[in-house]
Amino acid sequence: MLTNLTRRTLMKGAAVSGLAGALGGRVAFAADEPLGITLVVPSPIGDVGWGHALAAGLEPVKAAYGDKVKVTVIENIQEGPDADRIMTKTVADGNKFLIAGSFGYQNGALQIARRNPDVTVLHASGFQVAPNFSPFAAKYFQGTYLLGMAAAALSKTGKLGSVSAFAIPELITSVNAFTLGAQAVKPDIEVSVVWVNSWFDPAKEQEAAKALMAQKCDVIFSNAQDTPSVISACEDAGVYGFNLNSSMKKYAEKTYLGCVATDWSPFFKASVDAHIAGTFKGANAFLGVADKVVKVVDWNPDIPADVMTKIKEIEAKIADGSFSPFTGPITKADGSEGVAAGATLTDSEIVAMDWHVKGVTTPLPK
Amino acid sequence: MNAIEFILAGMLAAATPFLLAALGELVVERAGVLNLGVEGLMALGAVLAFIVVYHGGGHVMGFVAAGLGGAALSLVFALVVLGFRANQVAAGLAIGILGQGLSALFGKSYESLTVKGLPKLALPWLSDIPVVGGLFVQDVVVWLSLAATLAIWATLAYTKTGLVVRAIGENPKAAHAIGYPVVAVRFAAVAFGGMMAGFAGAYAAVVYTPLWADGMIAGRGWIAIALVVFGTWLTGRIFLGACLFGAVSLMGLAAQATGLDVPSQLLSSLPYLVTIVVLGIISADRRLLKLNGVASLGEPFDR
Repeated sequence: MLTNLTRRTLMKGAAVSGLAGALGGRVAFAADEPLGITLVVPSPIGDVGWGHALAAGLEPVKAAYGDKVKVTVIENIQEGPDADRIMTKTVADGNKFLIAGSFGYQNGALQIARRNPDVTVLHASGFQVAPNFSPFAAKYFQGTYLLGMAAAALSKTGKLGSVSAFAIPELITSVNAFTLGAQAVKPDIEVSVVWVNSWFDPAKEQEAAKALMAQKCDVIFSNAQDTPSVISACEDAGVYGFNLNSSMKKYAEKTYLGCVATDWSPFFKASVDAHIAGTFKGANAFLGVADKVVKVVDWNPDIPADVMTKIKEIEAKIADGSFSPFTGPITKADGSEGVAAGATLTDSEIVAMDWHVKGVTTPLPK
Repeated sequence: MNAIEFILAGMLAAATPFLLAALGELVVERAGVLNLGVEGLMALGAVLAFIVVYHGGGHVMGFVAAGLGGAALSLVFALVVLGFRANQVAAGLAIGILGQGLSALFGKSYESLTVKGLPKLALPWLSDIPVVGGLFVQDVVVWLSLAATLAIWATLAYTKTGLVVRAIGENPKAAHAIGYPVVAVRFAAVAFGGMMAGFAGAYAAVVYTPLWADGMIAGRGWIAIALVVFGTWLTGRIFLGACLFGAVSLMGLAAQATGLDVPSQLLSSLPYLVTIVVLGIISADRRLLKLNGVASLGEPFDR
């Protein structure tokens, strides 16, 4: 069962259930009730993007448990008091498994977890942990490194670009790994970044992509855009482009370089299993290629075969843990040492990264 | 193409959504009505145009649908504020929110889909000039918007219709006393403003960024309203303001792409800063504001 709710129908529902409550008293939940799983996301769920990837991650859970789970997706909920109220309501309605799909839901979701020890909460891209509260994030940088290799092989101008939402560590690491991957193929390649300072403004994102193309960037990394704004501009201009989360190949049949896709289903499934078994333990889930959460799909056939072979080798090494994009020596953009030769950044150092590697020409906003 | 050429080539297209919506709002305000619902009217126009174009109706029909939709919703606003003399600020905000809600509802199954934009037309000779040539390679809607700017300027400044609209905005009682239908003219002005906002939304969704996504207008309607004040209710200044805003926002992106060492947050806020500064300079001259300001703006008409 899947019910798609918008805020409006939710409020209508709330009014109706409030009425029913007033008339007939509270409905008790029996032990054999299905497990209510609610996903709350900040943006509308389209055919692509972040919200779509999260919702798609619940499909295998539904397939595995059938009638034993009831999944509700609540989309387009702004971070803030609105989200807190809606998450509180969904838990009060008896849903015991909550997926809070945005960083800004953190405080409200954590309070819900503390007040309701029998509820399991998964929270996107946060850092707080509680016994029944796990933050989760994807190691996008593992995928962007691989796409950097492909981009360098295809670039004629030696200049790559990235349209990026906000200068936060998660996005900075993706740009850095992209640059390092490109340098592994062509050491003197340069990367320009345009920070649009918005999670959602398709027109501005497209302008940014065009600004990069005007500077002769011929492969563009759409870093955290939920719509095909950048990807379709790439197809129009005949430059390669790639993005995160879910494939946008249908918007750029010729110039789609690939997608750093996220498949949350292994993590969601394992968490639901643990919740039902009563063994769930909150922990920081930073998941990548090895966890089968991050996966590069839809590789462009234009990528030369020898480069593709190299990419596949590195991908296998990332999966078995013998390679990390952030193994030194790595120089920062300002010339100082970022990672010493032979050293590898730990997960906690990666999630706190606030510097660009050498080769990124745009200064990082302070 | 260097950064300057990029800005010059993109400036007019970036300015067009602001320009179309601001021209409409100019006429509305000149008639003495303040419509703050532009953002929602643009969103509604955007989704209607997108749906029509997506289903193969073509860009012309898309703009027609957007114009009709914008006009229809703004007539609801007109009915509330002119018919029932409700507070214009509150009613405008409400209509704006309604427009955004309707756009999300209609656009639900079109989320993140794309359509083909319009080809760019180059003016012969002019487009071959180095550096500034890009200015003369624009899509047909940009050229039509420039024509509309001229037409609205000429109408307001030199025709009897323009004079009647301005008189009604200046002193509705006097205009009524000499026999002009104040409420009817205001209805027409509001509908015109709604149509232009619909066009502006249509341009954003089927030409400039040819895709639909809920919330894609992203505050442009508010900028359009600000531009009307910024331009002290004068067509030429509103045009310059829209171009300035478009150019400065492209400049911020181009500066980053070239690797200029300026914080991107500053660059992102630059269009707003420039607008505020210019607004401040203009408002400093009280005489100018008094001369061009609309005396009865936002006041309900009581005969």
